[in-house]
Amino acid sequence: MRSRLGLGLVGLLGFGALLELAPRLGLVPSRYAPPSSRIVSALVGEAREARFWSALADTLETWAIGLGMAVGGGVVLGILIGALPLLRAATASTIEFLRPIPSVALIPLAAVLYGATIRSTLVLVVYAAFWQVLIQVLHGVADVDPVARDTALAYRLGRWERVRYLVWPTALPYVVTGIRLAASVALILAITGELILGSPGLGQEIAVAQSSGAVPQLYALVVVTGLVGVGANLLARAAERRVLSWHPSVRGEAIA
Amino acid sequence: MRRKLAALLFAAALLAPTACGSNNNNSGTATGSGKTDKVTVGVIPILDVAPIYLGKQKGFFSNRKIDLNLALAQGGAAIVPAVVSGQYQFGFSNVISLLLAQSRNVPVKVVCNGNNSTGVDGQDFAALMVKGDSPIKSAKDLAGKTVAANTLNNIVDTTVRASVRKAGGDPKKVKFVELPFPDQPAALQAGRVDAVFVVEPFQQAVLAQGGRKIASSYVDAAPNLTVALYFTSNQLLRSNPDLVKRFTEAMQESLKYADEHPDEARSIIGTYTKITPDVIAKMTLPKWPSDINRQAVQTLADLALGDSLLPKAADVNALLPSS
Repeated sequence: MRSRLGLGLVGLLGFGALLELAPRLGLVPSRYAPPSSRIVSALVGEAREARFWSALADTLETWAIGLGMAVGGGVVLGILIGALPLLRAATASTIEFLRPIPSVALIPLAAVLYGATIRSTLVLVVYAAFWQVLIQVLHGVADVDPVARDTALAYRLGRWERVRYLVWPTALPYVVTGIRLAASVALILAITGELILGSPGLGQEIAVAQSSGAVPQLYALVVVTGLVGVGANLLARAAERRVLSWHPSVRGEAIA
Repeated sequence: MRRKLAALLFAAALLAPTACGSNNNNSGTATGSGKTDKVTVGVIPILDVAPIYLGKQKGFFSNRKIDLNLALAQGGAAIVPAVVSGQYQFGFSNVISLLLAQSRNVPVKVVCNGNNSTGVDGQDFAALMVKGDSPIKSAKDLAGKTVAANTLNNIVDTTVRASVRKAGGDPKKVKFVELPFPDQPAALQAGRVDAVFVVEPFQQAVLAQGGRKIASSYVDAAPNLTVALYFTSNQLLRSNPDLVKRFTEAMQESLKYADEHPDEARSIIGTYTKITPDVIAKMTLPKWPSDINRQAVQTLADLALGDSLLPKAADVNALLPSS
């Protein structure tokens, strides 16, 4: 475990060295691809400014609210639709039609409805992340063991008890996977919305850096969005391990 | 069938909170003699809008009971719909975009001047530029060449054609490609385009890589050309003329102040852009007269009509405030 972490660090440092050397050796023009040392110093400069931190907070807020709405809506509707076979059959084609619509295609709509506000970015974030959760929950609900279901019926478990003790534990690994997928999709759309619509956040700061010709700052902000993505994924994985500590997939992971 | 309907309704519900929201968001229309109005203005993070930032800092807006919030948008294309829908109470846009909006019956009305060219050939905040070793000597030599414009069929190609015409060339033979300002210096250096039309700070970037100015198109189009304007929606103009009046007064005071104190205007640019201090010191600033150059707006409208950007002659007097 420790050696793998070490190797990962070596790889990262190697990548940084490559980005440092390529412009220094003249392989790429340093004006447009500054060496990593300049990106790091631009990052330090950004970190000293209050507006950077408020942009980071805005992005995290958009991400968290959007993810929360998508997860809440996806889980509730997923269980509802999944539990009622007729409803599921009736909505399947609609879901399959709406799901592939790329969230970014809604940008003009969001721009007209809300302008450059967090709300317009939330439209994109929620739309993209919602389907990730909903589809996983639907699969999860469908995965309930028939024997277990019959047993629950034989013991005359009520509707609520069946959801609580049968459907929910079966669907939980799917839900968690859906949340993990939704977390990264939500971040992508949050940055996209800020970049294109201009709602406050890191994406908008990237756009401002671009229109100011501030190339090192631009890369520094891109690095920050990458770090936020890594952080979001680590958080989701930690939550997964905690919530599913009883599940064979997580227990198996620990053994292997 | 009923369930399918329910599914559709649910899909609609996803978008519904959105649809209703836009109505009760007109914070700017909350009026009252003693109350402060919250006003959001859509601007672009470029030096042209320095006066409004300066005016906010100087208290020209709060003096008039306006709580000013400046929203940075990506280009005027996003600002016009946001002003019309009431998300923003005012916006900043270039003259051609507003003429185009008017020609499509978009209900916008100009309230105040935005910024003008310096009027000095060779020393403007925007320039038509080529590589240092380019054989192109003047705008006339652009026949058959490719020129980068940040937006096609807008103010850049209109004014560049004016430069070509003025130099004695045929503007129809110039090819334009769409390329955002930030990408133009690199494209010029790599030879992907023969010429670029850049505004500050990218004029400095092209100069730094050895580029050369061949024309000041904003100067060639009309003397002291009005490049951009502040505008509002006809709806706000009707529902709250007092607010529009106060905003216009504050804006005019800001423009006057910025024009008289270019050093303060220069230093405020660093607060809302990420332009490096050494570039800010070198940049050529636009002019910020408080009055609209109506003659220049008419000239731009005529040029746009001649280049068939506009379907019919623009009603400039209907777009501009009555003088």
